Formats: sequence, structure tokens, C-alpha cells
Amino acid sequence: MTYFLGILQTIGVHTLLGLSAYLLLLTGQLSLAQAGFFAIGAYVSGILTVIFGLHIFPALAIGAFIAGFFAFLVGFPALRVKGLMLVVATIAFSEIVRLFFFNLSWRVIINGIEVGPDSTQGFREIRYFAANGWEQIDIVGLIWFLVIAVMLVLWWLDQVRAGAVLRAVGADELAAQSSGINLTRVKIAAMTGGGVIAGIGGGLFAHSTTYIDHHTFVILLATFAVSYPILGGLRSVVGTLVAVIFIQGFIIEGLRFIGDYRYLIFGLLIVLVMNLRPQGMIDGHFLADIKKLLGRKTMRGKVDD
Amino acid sequence: MNFDYIDVIQTLIDGILFGSIYALIGLGFTLIFGAMHKLNLAYASSGIAGAYIGLMSLTIIGLPVLMVFIIGPIVAGLISLILYFACFRFMPRGNHLAPLMASIGALFFIDELIIHATAGSPLSFPAILQNSYFIVGEFGIRGDLLMIMGFSLILMVVVMLLLYRTKLGLATRAASQQPVAALLCGIPTHKTNATTFCLAGILGGFAGCLLAASVGVLSPLIILPLTIKGLIVTVIGGLGSIRGAVIAGFAVGAAEGIFLLVRGVNERDIYVYLLLFFFLVFRPNGLFGSTINRD
Amino acid sequence: MIEVRNLVKHFGGVRAVDGLDFKIKQGEVFGLIGPNGSGKSTTVNLICGVFPTTDGEILLDGIDLCAIAPHNRVDAGVARTFQNIRLFGELTVWQNLWVAWRDQPGQEQSWISNWFRRSPTRRQEIQKLLEFSGLGDKANHLASNLAFGEQRCLELARAMASKPKLILLDEPAAGMNSAEIKDLCKRVLTMKEMGMTVLLVEHVMELVMNVTDRIIVLNFGKPIAEGTPVEIQNNEAVKSAYFGSSENTEGGAS
Repeated sequence: MTYFLGILQTIGVHTLLGLSAYLLLLTGQLSLAQAGFFAIGAYVSGILTVIFGLHIFPALAIGAFIAGFFAFLVGFPALRVKGLMLVVATIAFSEIVRLFFFNLSWRVIINGIEVGPDSTQGFREIRYFAANGWEQIDIVGLIWFLVIAVMLVLWWLDQVRAGAVLRAVGADELAAQSSGINLTRVKIAAMTGGGVIAGIGGGLFAHSTTYIDHHTFVILLATFAVSYPILGGLRSVVGTLVAVIFIQGFIIEGLRFIGDYRYLIFGLLIVLVMNLRPQGMIDGHFLADIKKLLGRKTMRGKVDD
Repeated sequence: MNFDYIDVIQTLIDGILFGSIYALIGLGFTLIFGAMHKLNLAYASSGIAGAYIGLMSLTIIGLPVLMVFIIGPIVAGLISLILYFACFRFMPRGNHLAPLMASIGALFFIDELIIHATAGSPLSFPAILQNSYFIVGEFGIRGDLLMIMGFSLILMVVVMLLLYRTKLGLATRAASQQPVAALLCGIPTHKTNATTFCLAGILGGFAGCLLAASVGVLSPLIILPLTIKGLIVTVIGGLGSIRGAVIAGFAVGAAEGIFLLVRGVNERDIYVYLLLFFFLVFRPNGLFGSTINRD
Repeated sequence: MIEVRNLVKHFGGVRAVDGLDFKIKQGEVFGLIGPNGSGKSTTVNLICGVFPTTDGEILLDGIDLCAIAPHNRVDAGVARTFQNIRLFGELTVWQNLWVAWRDQPGQEQSWISNWFRRSPTRRQEIQKLLEFSGLGDKANHLASNLAFGEQRCLELARAMASKPKLILLDEPAAGMNSAEIKDLCKRVLTMKEMGMTVLLVEHVMELVMNVTDRIIVLNFGKPIAEGTPVEIQNNEAVKSAYFGSSENTEGGAS
């Protein structure tokens, strides 16, 4: 049971990671900064509960807010320029964040024990859940509550004009601009939203694993983050969830058979998938076929105000 | 923090000399970007992988040291060619995201492959001219760094000549500006692009070997920082500008040296990476970029 | 209402537009024609802000457009269609209009309201626009699944959705058959009745001659003639620009 709950924890946290990349991918921008926002959410909320004794909810919220704030700061210069530059800038950002926390040492003594991030030793003893009587099932419940909440919000975006605006920018920037859309503003909004989501994920990750160090927040993590929505397709948020289950299931199960070679094969898989389906695995046609199989009509989209 | 101006200038000298390696990597990225308007994120890793294979020719086959510097770049060129076919050749022309993601996948693949092959431990690399050291006034110039700089400069000149004085270079430039029209004019764009990748790979192989020779060690840990710094050099120089990449390479090398002096090795890279954001805010076109800036 | 003064655009050594002046009156349908490469599309791109001008002014009701960022020119009242259709292919017909729709000038809502709130007025207006374009029953279809003629109609509707003062049509009839062109003529004339001002860039003479009030002819980035459709048809300079001078055609085809 613990094993199963543990998998649910991982999938939940990674879904948040994927959803944060999904939002920006809608506008056609590939960002590898999600690892950085995830890290900020993790460390900030961890520091808040461990050193300042905050309750988990405000800690998560503040962590997410600060992650979003940095997303805004990164987006501002990086989204004014060509998309390829954004990739470079976000890679640099994630590494800056990782190196920063690698060097961060903030140790205090609480109740006789020394706690806090300890640069290369990592950040141990993030024991909020255990110290406050949370069972593993409660933690999993919280994670998935937030996952579903975020998915609902992203689904709702497509029910109002914002979703169409985001997708229009991703579809054709020149046409979008000529239709009066402020491209930079839209992209920065998506980046900031993505930062907040990743920050929530990071905070949950830190508290559910109780130990974080800079090794987690590497570019590989950012690659996972964008792989999920690319694999799952941008038609709907559910695609990202399916992709997380698929990829994480592969990684976790792959642990048994391929052991340490799983990341090697992951890299190979990406190359393969990109060649076979450059537009992502679960695109509109795939979804339409599934719907036909399930007997529903294949009309997409919605007439709305 | 008391720094002698001597320390500063010495650091700058070392930094600029070392920066020639970054200039080579930036040049490689720029060549590929210039030809296809796409970034090959696995580029630096192909250079380092070449250096590894070159090293193996020394340790396993027992060839003379010089061969490392010949086999390394050649193998790197081959790896780069494979990357072209794996990540770029068959992608739809307008799609920028897919080849980028594919090259990220390739980057991890190569990185993990090296880690597995070497069990993660660094290997010692033949350091050339280790002991030569020139004294010029108050400053010391490392002989090996000087040779690296000289070598890099020669390579850069060769690349410029190839691009601007040969038919291949002309074809590549034409294909980069108008891929469809070039094809229709009978220019085999796929061949020119493949050749560009190969050439860039050879450059990267040299850069990898020179880097390893200057520090005396080869380790997979240098792949990602080298990639990022190479990308930063490319962007700061102005995407697509060869002059820019070269000059930016030296500048980044110098800056890195100063940051090392002032903040130490743990924090040095943070500031180098922040340099990128500085440029994005104040000079998004880079030093010599054209108006590729939108919005 | 629109005044273009001494418009110049150089791309490196190429003088795409080289000193263009014209005025368009409110409610006019103004034609911009000329051989390929004469600078017609560049002029449209300059008015819309796709490139910055090298020199010259573009005044819309007295406001200099050159000082306004491209996405803000829609607020200033400019809308356009594209020569190569640039619909949002993965969005539905409805969503294409939804994205471009704007409030009545002077009654703009905040962007929060625009992005997230529902608006019955918006719904009604988009519905009407769809009916006008003959796409009333295709609201939920993906734009990329429409027939070519329908796509052109959608592009036109999308430009109209932003309630522009000036609408720029960049070769809207390209690739259309006879029936579709007649339909387009009717549509443009209806737009004129609705009070819009239209700048029409076009090669298809059937459309140009039937809907425009006045025409300006460009060659090599410079204007060579201006007048009513009838005047232009009989203008020697225009004929020579399109067909070559009479000396060249003398010995050839009758």
C-alpha cells in the first residue's frame, strides 16, 4: 500500500510539473525553467515550515507566489525575443537556481536540532507532515486535490476567451498580433501561471519526500516537465496526465529491468518520438479517434460568449 | 576583498585565452544555427564525446598522444553527423520545437552513455605544454593556454575561409537564407547542412580536446556547463553572427575569470549565466545580431 | 481619413516602397494595384506595423500609426487579411472570431474582463458575423477543415470582428473561382454600405474594377497613376507597366 501511495505521490507532483509547462506550451514557447520554479517552490515552502514554523497551506501558497514572481521576472526579458533564445534563457535560469540552492546554507536551531538547507548536504528534516499527524494517505489526498484543482482551472481557461487567445498565439503569432493580441503580455501571463503551478508542485514535493537537494532540480527534470505535455498533446490537460502516468510508469517499472540505463533510454525515446510525431503524440486526430471508439461525436470546440 | 590590479589583469589574460574554447563552441552553435535556424543542444556533448573516444585511442589502443587531437575531432564530426540525421534531417522544415527536443534527448543519451562507460569517474587527459610558462613583465602566460588560443584562432580563420571563399560555403549560406529556393536551384541543402554539422562537430571535438588538455581532466560533468556557456556565447554574440560568437567567447572567458576571482568557483557560474539575462534585457540582439528581435 | 505621406521602405538595397503618397476618404473602397514586386504588400505590412518604415508618415484620423506598436494598431482601428491565409488552423471557426473580436471603441473593458468574462453582446455579434460570412452552421468546425473559399471568408470575418475603421485586404481573391469572386464583390460592397473604409490590394481586375471608388497604381515602389477605375483602365502608363511599352508589343501579338 505504501508503495502504491508513493507512486501516486510521484505522479501527482510530476503532473503539476507537466501542467506548468503545458500552459506556456499553449503559446508555442518551450521553457526549460520549470525545474527552477519547482526548486523555488520546494525550498521556499520548506524553509517557511521548518525555520519559520508556518502552516503548510500558507507555506505552499507563498512558495508558489514567489516561484510565480520569478517566472514573471524571467519572462520579461526572455519572452520579448525569439523562441530559441527563451530555451537558452530558461536553461540558464534553471541552472542559476540550482547553483544558488547548492550554495545556500541557512541553518537554525529549533527545539535543539539544527535544521535548514545545508548547501551541498541538501535540505533535510522537512518534517511538517509527520510532525503534524498527517498520514501518507492525507498527503496523497492533498496532492491530488491540488492536481485536480489546477486541471480544472486549466480546463476552464478553454471555456473562456483566454484559452483561445493563448492558443492563437501558439498557432500563428503574426496573425494573432494583427488581430490585436499583445504577444508579450500573453506569454508572460502564461509563464507566470506556469511558475505558480510548478511552485505548488515543488512545495508538495519537498514536504512529501522530506529531503531535497540540488541534484533533483537539474535540467533533466525540466525536460520531463515539457515532455509530458508534448507527449500528451496540447488539445487537453488530460493528455498531460496520461503522459505522466505513461512516462513515470515506464521509469518506475523500468527500474526493475533496465536499472540505471533508464535515463539513457528516455533520451533515446525522446529522439524517436520527435521523429515519428513532431506534433506530439496525442493530437486532435488521435483524440477524435478515441472519441469515435467511445461512441461520442467528433465535434470539438464550443460555441461560447 | 583585496585584489591587486595584477591579479585582475592576470585573471583577464587567463580568461581570454581560455575563452577561445568558448569561442569555438559558440562558433559551432552559430554555424548550425546559421545554416538551419535551429539549435542543436547536443552539440557540445558531441565535442566532448569525441574527446573521450580520442582519449580511448590513447589508453586502449596505445596510439601516440598527438593522435588524440586528431581522432577526437574526427569522431566528434561523425557524432555530429549522426545527430544531424537523428534530430534534424527528417523534421518538418518549419518546426523548431521538435528538433530542439530531439537534440535535448540526444544530449541526455550521450551524457548518460559517457557516465556509464566511464562509471562516472573523471579520466585524466594528456595535458600539452604543461610546464611552459612565459613571463611578460608582471604577468605570467601559460604556454598551453597560448597554444590553445593560437590553435582556436587558426580554426576560426579556416571556418571563415570555408564559409566565405568556397562554393560549399556559398551553398550553405544560400540554403540558410532560402532553403526551398536553394533546393530548386539545385543546391543539395541536405548535403550542405550535413556538411555543416560535420564541420561544426570537428570544431567541437577540437574544443573538447583543448578544454580537457588545459585542465588535464575529462569528466561528463563539464558537458552541461560547456553547453550553456556555448549557448550564452552564441546568444550574446548575436544569433547567427560568427564575428559575434568569436568575440563573445573571449568576453565570456574573461568574465568567467573575474567572477572566479571575486566569488569563487562555487558561485562563478551563477554570474556567468546571469550575464545572459543582462544582455537579454539591454541588448537582446546581442553584440552583432541583426534585428531578429520581434515585438 | 487615412493619409500616407512620403512612405519609404528599404530592405537593404531594395527600395520596396519609394515615396508613396495617397489619401483615402472615409467610407471609400480604395484600390492598390501594380505588377508583382511593386510594393503593394509591403505597403500593407507597413500600415499594419509588420515592419517599421524607413521614412514617411501614416496618419489614421490624424494619429500617426508609425508610433504605435503593431498589436495596438488594432485598437487604433486597423485590421487586415493575409495574402497567404493565416487562420488559427487548430482553433474552431468560432474561436478564430472570438480571439479577434473587440469591444465598441470607447467602451473597452479591462483585459481581465476580456479574457475571462462572458458577454452576450459578443456572442450575438460573432453569430451575426458568421451568418454574414455564410459560416453560420460551421461555428464548431476547425478552421483548417474548411474549404478554401470558406477560409477566405473566415479571414475576412476575422478582420471585421475587431470593428476596424480601416480594413486592409491583401489579395483576397487570389485562388478564387468566378463564382467566389462575384460573391466577394458583393461582400466588399456590403462592407462599404456598413460604413467601413477598405484598402484593397489586388491583382484580380474583375474585383478591383467592380468595387473600388478610386485606384492608385504602383510600379517599383512609386505611384504611377491615380484615379477612378475607368480612368485607370485607359491610362497609358498603367498599360505599359503591366504589358510593356507599345514599342515592345508592336511586332508581337495583335
